[in-house]
Amino acid sequence: MSLVFEPVRARSLPTSIWPLAALAGLALTGPFLAPLDPNAQDLMRVMEAPSITHLLGTDHVGRDILSRVFAGAPHSLGLAVLCVTLASSVGVALGLIAANGGAFVRALIMRLADLMLAFPGLLLALLFAGFLGGGIWPLLIGLNLALWPQYARMAEAVATSVLREGHVEAARLAGFAERTILKRHVLPPVLRAVMPLATLGVGQAIMSISALGFLGLGLKPPTPEWGAMINELLPFLAEGFVQMAAPCAMIFVSVLTLTLAGRALAADPTGGGHD
Amino acid sequence: MNGVLRVIMLRIGQALATAAVLASLCFVFVHALPGDLALRVAAARVGDERVTPETAERIRREEGLDRPLIVQYGQWMGNVAQGDLGRSLLSGKPVTQELAYHASFTLQLGLIGWLLSYLIALPLGIMAGFRPGGIVDRMTNALAVTLASLPTFLVGIGLITLFALTLRWLPPAGFRTGAHMVLPAFTLALSLVAFSIPVIRNAVVEVRSAFFMTYARVKGLTPAAAFRHHGVRNAAIPVVTYAALQFAFVIDGFVVIETLFNYPGLGELLVKALIARDVPVIMGAGLVIGFAFAVVSLLADLMRLWFDPRGLEEARA
Amino acid sequence: MTEAALTISYLSIHDRNGIALVDDVSLSVPRGGVLTLIGETGSGKSLIAQAVFGLLPAGLSVSGTITISGHKPIPASEPKRLAALWREQIMLIPQEPSAALDPTMRVKRQMALAGLHEEAIKPALAAFDLPGSTGDAYPFTLSGGMAQRVLVASALGVGAPIVVADEPTKGLDADRVTQAIATLKRLSAAGRSLLVITHDRRLAEELPGELAIIRDGRVEEHGPSAGLLSAPQSDYARTWLAADPRHWPRCHRCCDMTSLALSAHGLSFGWPKRGMLFEDLDLHVPRGGVLAISGPSGSGKSTLGDILLGLRRPTAGSVEWGGINIVAGSSAIKIHRQRYQKLHQDPITAFVPHLNFARQFLALQDVKSCLSVARDLPPLLERLKVNHRLMNRRPCEVSGGEAQRLALARILLLDPIAIVADEPTSRLDPVVQRETMLLLRAIVDQRGLGLVLISHDQTLLAAIADEHLALSPRP
Repeated sequence: MSLVFEPVRARSLPTSIWPLAALAGLALTGPFLAPLDPNAQDLMRVMEAPSITHLLGTDHVGRDILSRVFAGAPHSLGLAVLCVTLASSVGVALGLIAANGGAFVRALIMRLADLMLAFPGLLLALLFAGFLGGGIWPLLIGLNLALWPQYARMAEAVATSVLREGHVEAARLAGFAERTILKRHVLPPVLRAVMPLATLGVGQAIMSISALGFLGLGLKPPTPEWGAMINELLPFLAEGFVQMAAPCAMIFVSVLTLTLAGRALAADPTGGGHD
Repeated sequence: MNGVLRVIMLRIGQALATAAVLASLCFVFVHALPGDLALRVAAARVGDERVTPETAERIRREEGLDRPLIVQYGQWMGNVAQGDLGRSLLSGKPVTQELAYHASFTLQLGLIGWLLSYLIALPLGIMAGFRPGGIVDRMTNALAVTLASLPTFLVGIGLITLFALTLRWLPPAGFRTGAHMVLPAFTLALSLVAFSIPVIRNAVVEVRSAFFMTYARVKGLTPAAAFRHHGVRNAAIPVVTYAALQFAFVIDGFVVIETLFNYPGLGELLVKALIARDVPVIMGAGLVIGFAFAVVSLLADLMRLWFDPRGLEEARA
Repeated sequence: MTEAALTISYLSIHDRNGIALVDDVSLSVPRGGVLTLIGETGSGKSLIAQAVFGLLPAGLSVSGTITISGHKPIPASEPKRLAALWREQIMLIPQEPSAALDPTMRVKRQMALAGLHEEAIKPALAAFDLPGSTGDAYPFTLSGGMAQRVLVASALGVGAPIVVADEPTKGLDADRVTQAIATLKRLSAAGRSLLVITHDRRLAEELPGELAIIRDGRVEEHGPSAGLLSAPQSDYARTWLAADPRHWPRCHRCCDMTSLALSAHGLSFGWPKRGMLFEDLDLHVPRGGVLAISGPSGSGKSTLGDILLGLRRPTAGSVEWGGINIVAGSSAIKIHRQRYQKLHQDPITAFVPHLNFARQFLALQDVKSCLSVARDLPPLLERLKVNHRLMNRRPCEVSGGEAQRLALARILLLDPIAIVADEPTSRLDPVVQRETMLLLRAIVDQRGLGLVLISHDQTLLAAIADEHLALSPRP
């Protein structure tokens, strides 16, 4: 008799992975896909309707909308991913520290999270972006301050309940180190719980970043960020419907993709069955 | 009543902590901004062209800007605690006066939009909950997902394009007549509906499938009587809690909506002040929003305690 | 059988894949009599009760008829017609009494909605030893047993001549079981016809009337309760009755009292601000010996087990592992850590849920260098009668009995001196419990281990243990 080990079978990827991959590709390669210089003005051809040279028309200073939409992808999408990656890493780390630490450390971290959650979502980002204005860093810091607590709470709740389970006790009794227990027993379920939240979070971050851009408090023109583009185009809404629709549609499609993927992940956290 | 008191104290503490953090943040921002603070204040008071080093020096002495930071911080927090927020750098009017004027607009818009959202969400959510998987359920689900993926300003731009620019039924921006309220209120309502429909639907589905509902019928109640006696109250608990919380989250929406529709509420005030770096107004608006958030959260807590006896037990524990 | 209050004829229930969960069951409850259905988890006995009420989960297909109180036979596939007889003819005492009560409504009002008169509520509660204040309470403040008595009190208040009780003793302590049995007897004495569904042998023994043993959706044996229990006809019924710890083979041992696996002196423990759980305990577990620890829930049995394993510090006293006090210094704990192990109550949760067993066993090599899983595990699995194919499964894909034997295998690979088993078989069916416990006992003898067995089941402890320590309830 021998132990039969099955080869580790690759899990079938959930179908929602493809639109997500397309979004990621766009965020990475967007600027290279732009057919024209996104910042080249042409005051002779302002608010032009779509044509062969300008597939989506031009804006109020004659810039090519299609190029600006592509060039804006890293700002709108990439920044959102960066934001959530940072916030979820910080949140999960603090949540795990809270779950493993003593009563004082736990109370300190969790009360801090409560305090941050007591601010309405956009307010902190508004203040940071508004005061320190214009750059990527104030935006990142402001959004992160608002975002990390939900990840910390989720991580703390899952880790605390896992640490109480029999298999953690069994591992301690068998003499496994705390680090191994954290890695093998606690982290996988924590990450499984955080993944759907983070996917939905990227969608929310896209909305927040574009909202700040729209308010004129996010990334500053002429940076081709989708929200800032909408802000610039708003006075010309009556003349340039297609031009306005382009960044709007990009935001909608990106957030919709992430919302659907997040929901699919939440419904089936294993990502497509085990057999 | 011990539990209720505890909840109230907790929320008051939370409001105070929020206020302290906001006030401190504003202080840090003001002093972290590049350039000489006294010069900036002088420029705001007498106008850019007439600022001389002497006026700046005078303001430095008058306002105590030459004292150690920690003393200035104490003074700042003391003023905030007494409700003295100073004057707007832009208009020169007392901040409290400005806030009161704009807050009434926001409250009006918020209340109308919030009520409107539940006028839409309640019937749809309940219908969806009574036939999970049915046509209404699938359609409201699609509607909710779509709306949840649209930032508020996109909803607003869509409504403006359709009703103001294409159909010309309603004015696109402003605040003078009731017609001006329609689009902003609907924009707010639609962005709230995205989240309240699923909450209502799930509450109804969950209560309908709860065993005590089945058992009430085994005990002899008709399905309608069972829902009236046991269903409504239990389904209302999550819905009411969420509705109250959502009123607090209106804040995210109205900043954007007011700017989009040029509506003179707190959000618009805050955005203008941020762009102009009008610190007293920024802080004032931040404090009002933070406080409103805490008060509405408190109301949500109290509502839940009132509806759900289990909450009281938890609050005591 | 003309006197039958409730007749179930040719009842079959199939799931979506066409697998029979209940297969051609015909039974009847005599008027004013008692019929008890007993069987293991998953035998389909609760489905029979649900079918009688037309409350089967969606997706199951059902055939057969239900005849209630001389009405015309109703096809079991027509739940609406069965529902018409609820309350007037037939009443249910459900498996989870707390879930049957509206959590946001006071008990009094719920009883009134069930049709009891305002003035009848207090006497109805008092009849089941519930204080009058129970009426003003919300259901979540009641214990499971109290909620059940509230339901029975309301059921008595309505006139239904037939009462179906689904698992009335599930999750109750031993003395609460006695109470539940008394409650059922009173229902019977009040002239109601009873159909009782249970997995609890005690219930079957103490209730009069008829008994049917259900296995895999079929009636294995059926007859007057007393006769069936004393002289079972079918093989299954015999195996099943032999699973009673009182009928286990006695084992005569003499263990070597000079070689102690584990001992404790003057052990006390109390939670801060809540008084002492136990004080000044002395205990000795010789190698090859079994010490039983019993006590009602909340008496500190599991806490004592954790203290013996060095997982929790006692308030006072010492725990000695092979003569070395582990409370004083932590170095002794580190050296002997692997040799003092625990069997958990819920064996499935004792394994990491997302990894298969093979990987979890192989990981043991990281903490025990002389261990070779490939060499040591196969003979052990054979000894424990575990199919080696289970190694490729994950914990949720094996049964409770298999998981408990795998947990035992994992512990034995670490070559323990003493094992603390905390209710190791309380979630297992009786036949599996017998198999598991006798195996554990044999291994204790063979390997000269010390075993501390924590359980609330006195008959189990009496069958297995050499010595018995009973903790008194919390003052």
